[in-house]
Amino acid sequence: MASPDEEARASKKYVCTFIFSMRTGTPIEKLHVITKFLMIAVMSVLALYMFDIPVSKGGPDIVGLILLLILVFTLLIISRTAKHLVNSYLVLALPVLFGEFFWWLFFNGSLPGARVIFYLWPGFLPIGISTIVLVGVFSLVYYKTRNIGLSLVPALLLWWFTIMPSALSFSQTATWVRIPIGANYAFSLPEWSTMVALSKALGYGVLIYTSFLFLLTTRDVEIAGALRQLRLSFRKAFFVALMFRNLNTILLDYQDIKIAQTARAANVVRKSIFSKIIDLAYVSIPLVATMIRRSTEMGVALYARGFEASKGMTDYKETKRLSVVDFTILAILAAFLIYEVILGHSITSLFMR
Amino acid sequence: MSEGGKATSNTESKYPWSNYTLKLGRGEPVSTTQYVLYAVQIAAIIVLSYLSVSLLGPLSYSGVSLFYFVYPFFLVFTMWWGIWGIASAYIGCVLGAGLMVGLGVVPSLAYSISDFIPPLIAFIIYRGLLSKQGFDPLWRDLTDKEVGGVKTKRIGAWFWFILINGLILNAISAELGIGIQYQLGLIPGNAYWVWWAGWFVGDLLAMVIITPVLVKGLTNLVERQGLVNHGWIT
Repeated sequence: MASPDEEARASKKYVCTFIFSMRTGTPIEKLHVITKFLMIAVMSVLALYMFDIPVSKGGPDIVGLILLLILVFTLLIISRTAKHLVNSYLVLALPVLFGEFFWWLFFNGSLPGARVIFYLWPGFLPIGISTIVLVGVFSLVYYKTRNIGLSLVPALLLWWFTIMPSALSFSQTATWVRIPIGANYAFSLPEWSTMVALSKALGYGVLIYTSFLFLLTTRDVEIAGALRQLRLSFRKAFFVALMFRNLNTILLDYQDIKIAQTARAANVVRKSIFSKIIDLAYVSIPLVATMIRRSTEMGVALYARGFEASKGMTDYKETKRLSVVDFTILAILAAFLIYEVILGHSITSLFMR
Repeated sequence: MSEGGKATSNTESKYPWSNYTLKLGRGEPVSTTQYVLYAVQIAAIIVLSYLSVSLLGPLSYSGVSLFYFVYPFFLVFTMWWGIWGIASAYIGCVLGAGLMVGLGVVPSLAYSISDFIPPLIAFIIYRGLLSKQGFDPLWRDLTDKEVGGVKTKRIGAWFWFILINGLILNAISAELGIGIQYQLGLIPGNAYWVWWAGWFVGDLLAMVIITPVLVKGLTNLVERQGLVNHGWIT
């Protein structure tokens, strides 16, 4: 028979998490917050290790990183929070991943091995797979945005990326027609550059999406409850809960102050970047003043409710016990960690024998 | 009492900020209002850290912003609230400039040391050393000609402010932050100094522009309400 706490938890269909909300009853929602935290910690350690394996030891574990990424997205889908990611952070994170790829492609020239040619412009307009990429990306983005300019930017960028590698530009399979236009501009990079850059982008993707997995599926009160389970005093656990509960409030205050500035004609005239920075500085005063005023009011409210005299506080109803599933997941993560990091094996080498 | 002892006693009470020291506090427990205030200011720093990195900077999502405008906030909070401001700097970086922008748990915990060390050292230097030399540990002498009836040394105050916070501690912060990210394999070797410069300039600009605004607008208000810590904790 379910306990009253379990019934109370099960009665809500959606609960607020750090960002957006989460549907109750999903396998991820049932996990203990300590398990979720350790899960993302282990995955971040694995990602950091996998993408940093030196070339002399076989190079980055690309297959392992791809598997980690698939795992993260599977967990997001299972937790039914993937839709929030698609509508917001997934799109925002993609430029970051591309940025990481290019930082590592161009700023990592000290790798061993032969050099490979890349083209800023191959000297001809290729018609082939690159054209399909251009048309496909343009159509997809235009379908969503109905804006030609906004659709052209990613389409042209991705088209340019597909004509850069000499292997694609000069391949009979990838390029069917070549229309000569201008001279070619090429540069060379170590052949490991692409592999390392790709592994960094994949590893960064694992880091980003595991962090979002945690933020999308964890409630602030779960963390306070977990701290109580770890025998932290109620005052210390409540301090942490207070901290997290005020995040949204302060963000709303910041937005309100920006709107108030706009209402006072702060953005009517075009300003230099320095003036905009000064405007940002002037947001700080009402923000901090509001913060102090709210703290005083909350302090008085807590005092009026006997906070200082309180003993034997009731525990949070959202607190869960560690279950068999939690221990199983922790054991699998530990095994994965030992296999990869401590014993130094690589999942890519299992497939590349 | 010896003349030397008399002289020391006079120096200690000479300045209106002489009661802001490096002791733990005045021996009283943290009141409920202070307890809430310390929690709320940590939340404010988390939000501002997140906005600093996500809104501004092509180097963002690695925790590096070209205008890290939260930096002066946690510096000023540290000067007001001691260890609580230092804690807000670290936690703000871990959560706001780390986890919430997708940096991952381990990198966030590691590189946030770069936001922990500068306010800690600044607090010690200002309250332990410079306050006795006539420089206000709450930085009011950056903007005001006098504090509590005592004429301030504005040029000297700005000199130490830029030297200690803007150059030395900022360089230490950049070295720690970028160095740790480099060791974790998040930054390519050839781009090290590009990212280092971005970090240094981003923090320096924010500090120089925003700190005087914060200090001028709020320090007297906070002090009048009795909310400035006398020591590290209370």
